[in-house]
Amino acid sequence: MELWGGILTAAVAGLFLAAPLAAWRPKLGYGTSAAAAVLLLAASVETLVGGTIHGPVWSGPLGDPEGLTLNGLSGFFAFAASLVWVATSIYSIAYDERRPSLLAVCFALTLGSIALLVSSSSLLLFLIGWETMTVASYGMILQARGRRDRVFSAAFVFLAFGEASTLFVVLAVAGLRLGTGTFAEVPYLVPGTLSTLVFVAALLGFALKMGVAPFHMSEWLPIAHSSAPSNASAVLSSTLTLAGAYGLFRVLSLLGYPPLWWGAVTLGIGAVSVLLGSLFAAVSEHTKGLPAYSTIENNGLVLVALGVALLARAEGLTELYVFALFAAFYQALAHAVAKTVLFLSAGWTEHATGTFDLTSVAGGVKRGDRAAFAGTVAATLSLAAAPPLAGFVSEWMVLESLFQSYQFVPAWVQFLGLISGAAVALGAGLIVIAMVKFLGFTLLWSPASSAAPRRSRGLALPIGAVGAVVLGLGVGAPWVLRFLAPTVSAFVGSPAAAPVGQLLAVPTGWSILSGSPFGILSPPMIPITIGLGALVGLGYYLLGRPSSRPARRAAVWMAGSPAGQPGELYTSFGYSTGLRIMMATILGTREIRSSAGSVSEAGLATPVPYSVDLEVLDIFKLFYDDLVRAGEGLAALLKHWIMPGRLGRYLAYILIVVVAVVIYVAAAAG
Amino acid sequence: MLLPEPSEVLPEELAGLWRGQFGGPAPRPLAPRETVEGYGTFTFPYGPISMGVPESGRFDVVTYGERILELAPLGGYKQRSVLAALAGTPVEDAALRIERIAGNFSAAHVAAFLAAAESARGLRVPVVELWTRALAQELQRIYNHIHVLARIAEAASQNVGQAQTHALAEEILRLQARAFGHRWLFGALLPGGPARNLDRAGRHALSEAVRTPAREFDDLWELYLDSRVFVDRIQGTCPVPREVAVRWGAVGPTLRACGVPWDDRLRVPEAPYNDLFVALAREHDGDALARLLVRVQEVRASFLLIEQMLDRWPADVSLSEAPSPPVRPGRGVGRVEGPSGDLVYDVSVAHDRIVSVAARTPSQANWPVFAFGMRGAVFTDFHFAFESFGLVFAETDR
Repeated sequence: MELWGGILTAAVAGLFLAAPLAAWRPKLGYGTSAAAAVLLLAASVETLVGGTIHGPVWSGPLGDPEGLTLNGLSGFFAFAASLVWVATSIYSIAYDERRPSLLAVCFALTLGSIALLVSSSSLLLFLIGWETMTVASYGMILQARGRRDRVFSAAFVFLAFGEASTLFVVLAVAGLRLGTGTFAEVPYLVPGTLSTLVFVAALLGFALKMGVAPFHMSEWLPIAHSSAPSNASAVLSSTLTLAGAYGLFRVLSLLGYPPLWWGAVTLGIGAVSVLLGSLFAAVSEHTKGLPAYSTIENNGLVLVALGVALLARAEGLTELYVFALFAAFYQALAHAVAKTVLFLSAGWTEHATGTFDLTSVAGGVKRGDRAAFAGTVAATLSLAAAPPLAGFVSEWMVLESLFQSYQFVPAWVQFLGLISGAAVALGAGLIVIAMVKFLGFTLLWSPASSAAPRRSRGLALPIGAVGAVVLGLGVGAPWVLRFLAPTVSAFVGSPAAAPVGQLLAVPTGWSILSGSPFGILSPPMIPITIGLGALVGLGYYLLGRPSSRPARRAAVWMAGSPAGQPGELYTSFGYSTGLRIMMATILGTREIRSSAGSVSEAGLATPVPYSVDLEVLDIFKLFYDDLVRAGEGLAALLKHWIMPGRLGRYLAYILIVVVAVVIYVAAAAG
Repeated sequence: MLLPEPSEVLPEELAGLWRGQFGGPAPRPLAPRETVEGYGTFTFPYGPISMGVPESGRFDVVTYGERILELAPLGGYKQRSVLAALAGTPVEDAALRIERIAGNFSAAHVAAFLAAAESARGLRVPVVELWTRALAQELQRIYNHIHVLARIAEAASQNVGQAQTHALAEEILRLQARAFGHRWLFGALLPGGPARNLDRAGRHALSEAVRTPAREFDDLWELYLDSRVFVDRIQGTCPVPREVAVRWGAVGPTLRACGVPWDDRLRVPEAPYNDLFVALAREHDGDALARLLVRVQEVRASFLLIEQMLDRWPADVSLSEAPSPPVRPGRGVGRVEGPSGDLVYDVSVAHDRIVSVAARTPSQANWPVFAFGMRGAVFTDFHFAFESFGLVFAETDR
């Protein structure tokens, strides 16, 4: 234990130490981050396999013991995050070519503060890590290339949402301290008004960070609007939102028995996020906006699973409670890993083509590096929930938990489960459109004119490696679930077994079971079955080989006209316009025409040139725009009536306050 | 193997051969084009070989996906230069080629051409010939309108209705074959046409025979009107505003569906229409449904005309009428109301041989309004809209 405590300390210290090193030599900074992330990975694996590890403990400013520790719950989040960081840091060595690089410094600081908040033994240290993380990632977004005004406004939006989140998190932590008298990990807070307030504050605060609806602006806008650097996007989207999820789980684990409506609210928010996230992902034309929207969908799925878990807990359905928790953790893990690949891949595409615009990227990379190609294929398919990849297993588990909502007693909860199930299923369908679009228009599309891409092994290898992890997490799901058992046990507070079992001829422990006699899935059997099928085909090809007719490749015949002209190819925008038109009420689709004259006045001989733009709108953004306007109005009022800039007025305020304090003190003393 | 197998001749080689020998296709726009640009827009080529359109012709669809921003029909893929090759041929031989320009509309083309040629030559025309041409045209109008109905039903996947409508159209073709000796009326309208079967007994048989399809058509149309799905699909599809139709010179059912009461049979009533009751078909909405409703009314009107004609068939075969006066000696203009609209032929003749022939076909007049109506429609509207106009590439690629 002493040894592992030391390694944990070294990992967190190393991540912070990378910041000054990065200021000196950016590549050295990234290298240090990678090495420290490997240490953290090792420590987290030891936690999940061997049990809680304790680092140094010291006495905090308020008299509570502070320290570094990893238990089952935080160990899982440290595991998922450090997995992402190892790949992202190595990728950054090749990706970030600026010197000196403020990006590298902020990157290291972000990683360090996330590691700190995850491994903090007390909530005060957690808060410190939380706030450092927000400020450091704000710094990362500021490093975006692109138009300065857009970058500043996007970074500002991020900071505004981040500070709002901190505000609520501070409220939640203050509530916990008020109820228990300590910042340290304590037994459950007694249910009551205080615990309800803590739950609401925590849900708001952490949902703001996870970027779920209706706070999804905090997720996509800074990443897409400012075209933030790709390594920063990966860290923001995969691990910053993961930190939000961690905070929510950690606070919930301290809150004890949940009333029914907690789960219902969580489930509702999750389902709306799944639907909105996938819909907006499908109509996004930005190689980073699309994965960012998909993050909203995936975090929504985590909340859906958590919501079902809370409902099951409230209803006393222990088996479903545990299964839904496994689903939530698995979903968080699968998303963090796959999403990292997508952002790294977007950076790789930009490296090769110089753009983030899907329509312009089309075919720019055309298979370039095999490792990156394979990794991107695995990750996009995983996010589209294709078997046997990680995303498929997690989505199956989430849906299986929703299917079992029939067990809930109140009719309205059953109904909520039903609607959420439909929303999640629809979202799962829409996200397929988004992922096919991403994969198709970046890698598979091959117009004749595309030039050979700029190769970069340093960018390609991390992408391929994480892609392999995505495949491994999918095929090896039953074993990964056993690995996650300590996490669920830590959250539940009692030993929980992984939902694996045996059915039919599948070897024991190779299958995932949901409920005692409900659903069953055996991820390892999927590649085996596919492999057997392929063997049959191969055998037929080798042995049978019916009278072989040679294949002939010919150009497309278009009645003698040249076919496949550049302007005649489908654009990625066109690919999803059907959705824009069908979902016009939700997307607020409108066509903006600008022309010299009205179209109907165009005569036979005098055609009028005009241009068309089809825009989609986020209704929530309108709401926030109104909010900003109201805030500005209020500020103007305050300025006019209370802070008019007259010295006399301010002296009067001071006098009033002094008099009030004197009266209060006198009253308290008397 | 000495000779290459047919499969080894590459399409590119064929294309090269074609270009080398015949100059290849020369696509030309059939409607005015606009310049549309915008994020994500591209030009989607539909055709020249496609499932939906039975002819070789191409549509360049400017779109940002799903919605048609601009539609540019391109002709020239089945250019046969029939008219240009007519110079020097005898008028009767020329008529045989004219009727093959567009088989569906053979009667209208031949009637217009012959009227123009007779006007140019100043020949008196036997009244019976005029009645024969009118009878053939009305039969063919019925066939074409029913054919359009069947095509729209096919687009709407009304499979039973489509099969029954095609069967009915086939009945009309067989009636034509029995009365005129040819399913598509080829050769039947030449003066003293060879295989006509229009003596008293033949006329009686025909008047008996048309009753069944007339009744069947009414029943069928009632069934179509019962299909809410079918009517909804074509209502509001590809609307052509009245002003556009008038200004851009639309003709036929397309124009009458916009509320304009223009029909050549009523405008200058020539024999036999001056003796008969011609019901004017008219609708006001200008959409695919309105065009179809006009066609339905015209089918009924044509059945009525056939009934009237067979009832009052001229008994005196020696009667003849003077042709319309020539534009100038040797050059005449003939004009008829074809199934898809107003058809004009301008023929110059010298010594009973053709000097030059020019034509303005209904398709030519209606391509621009079709392209206009398609702006803002979605891809799936295309089929319904296209069929409702009764457009054929053969009439422009002549």
